[in-house]
Amino acid sequence: MTGTAVRRTLLYAALLVGALISVAPYLMTLNASFKTTQGMFSTQAWTPAHPATFSNFASLWSQYDMSGFMVHTLIVSVAITVGQVLFCSLSAYAFARMEFPGRDLLFWAFVATMMVPQIVTLVPLFLIMSHFQLTDTYRALILPYVFGTPYGIFLVRQYFRTIPPDLEAAARIDGAGTWTILWRIILPLSRPILATLATVTFVNSWNNLLWPLMATSSERTTVITVGISALQGQYASQLNIVLTAAAVALLPLIAVFLVFQRHIVRSIALTGLK
Amino acid sequence: MEAYLLIGPSLAGFLLFLVVPIIGVFALSLFSWDLVGTPQFVGLANYRRLAGDGAAWTAVGNTVYYVALNIPAQTVLALLLALALNRKMRGGKVFRVLFVLPWMAMPVALGIIWTWAFDPRHGAVNHLLSLVGIAGPNWLTSTTWAMPVIASVNVWQYTGYTMLFLLAGLQAIPEQIYEAAAVDGVSAVQRFFKITLPLLRPSMFFVLITNVIGSFQLFDTVFVMTQGGPGTSTTTLNYYIYQQAFQLFHAGYAATLAIVLFAMILLVTAGQFLYFRKRTVYDFS
Repeated sequence: MTGTAVRRTLLYAALLVGALISVAPYLMTLNASFKTTQGMFSTQAWTPAHPATFSNFASLWSQYDMSGFMVHTLIVSVAITVGQVLFCSLSAYAFARMEFPGRDLLFWAFVATMMVPQIVTLVPLFLIMSHFQLTDTYRALILPYVFGTPYGIFLVRQYFRTIPPDLEAAARIDGAGTWTILWRIILPLSRPILATLATVTFVNSWNNLLWPLMATSSERTTVITVGISALQGQYASQLNIVLTAAAVALLPLIAVFLVFQRHIVRSIALTGLK
Repeated sequence: MEAYLLIGPSLAGFLLFLVVPIIGVFALSLFSWDLVGTPQFVGLANYRRLAGDGAAWTAVGNTVYYVALNIPAQTVLALLLALALNRKMRGGKVFRVLFVLPWMAMPVALGIIWTWAFDPRHGAVNHLLSLVGIAGPNWLTSTTWAMPVIASVNVWQYTGYTMLFLLAGLQAIPEQIYEAAAVDGVSAVQRFFKITLPLLRPSMFFVLITNVIGSFQLFDTVFVMTQGGPGTSTTTLNYYIYQQAFQLFHAGYAATLAIVLFAMILLVTAGQFLYFRKRTVYDFS
């Protein structure tokens, strides 16, 4: 073999090892969710579940309100995602294209708050929510994130600025107003970034633990992160059941990601460039 | 006028759920509050308590230790991956997608999976080590190993995501610069340190700022895997704040601690800004 061929082979070998490390935990968890408790202790993580059993799913669903956890999380995540995409687009357009007093100051105030750790706002937020008797409701989980986050506004504004302004100028001459331009020209051209924002928001809401842990306390608002961490304490000796719950929590996001992966891989990179 | 209509909803949310709570946390740090009763004004008592609270400073130390384990490992691995993928190759896109898959995983679920993988008797890690004749320790009950194991969850989760940013940065470096360097007979090592790394600074800056801010807020995996233990060896500041507020019901003191975390992040971020500003042209517009 020539030197380049050797280098190529080594490169692929290293990348393959990396790819294997990236997906192995997912695959082993999925595999474990089809094993019995006994099988968990007598076989290795990578030994295929044989015979495969569905009993873990059955006992998970019979003892826990798993469907409930997922529905609660879905309601909260979808509401936040829809709000984010809508409100971030509106303010991003104003910040990217309109002239108004205080624009730059406001924009940088938004961006600066990205540095504020979540916990700083959560303790006072809990005080606000309990004052209005909103703790343990969906509203408490949705309201703080639904109107758009600094990150979302920043992301969409940067993208809007790459759209040539001539398109809008032409539409304005034809008598189109701001709403028409936004709806007919800007948003259709911005599908990749909006898909990315939607996915990032959905993933963050689905995975969020700290705020739901603080703000909710009863079964009827338990989201999947809170549900699973409670279940983990109870089933410490039945790893197969806990891992089944983990697999159930992980898979919906993989599905969402694989649908949008082309957009995401491209636009995540865009935000870093400027 | 129209502009204010467009930013109206976001601005209202921003004021109510970010600005008011940020002001509120400073106010709350002057009160004693048990989460249910009426807050009592106590002046600077929470700050005096902070000065003498060894556990709080241990938590600060643990947080810094975690960031110091996590960020270098993650950044160097991501850079190596980005360099490997920065060429025309078959399957490059597939690798990119596979490397980003860990990014979206739920940290709570990952905590469960890692606890299993590092289980001393039934875990995959110790089994693999035993194949090469090493007796693995009881990772999560060891004050030495618990934090590195927790850091490894984060490295696994974010290396691919960080790689995407660095890869985009690499691809933005003009080909002509490398061609010119080749004409001048620049060695591969020099090319990396004198051309690639300096021109990668804008991407590096973005990646480091956002990852460091995120790392300082470690909570989920600690909550699931160790509850701050063994002893207090994995009690990060964020976890300690949670304990103070929601397990011990010292919400006023928790607010004081939250300000400490905020100050740490501000300091480190400002430091990074200054470091990079001297060495980079980064267009913020």
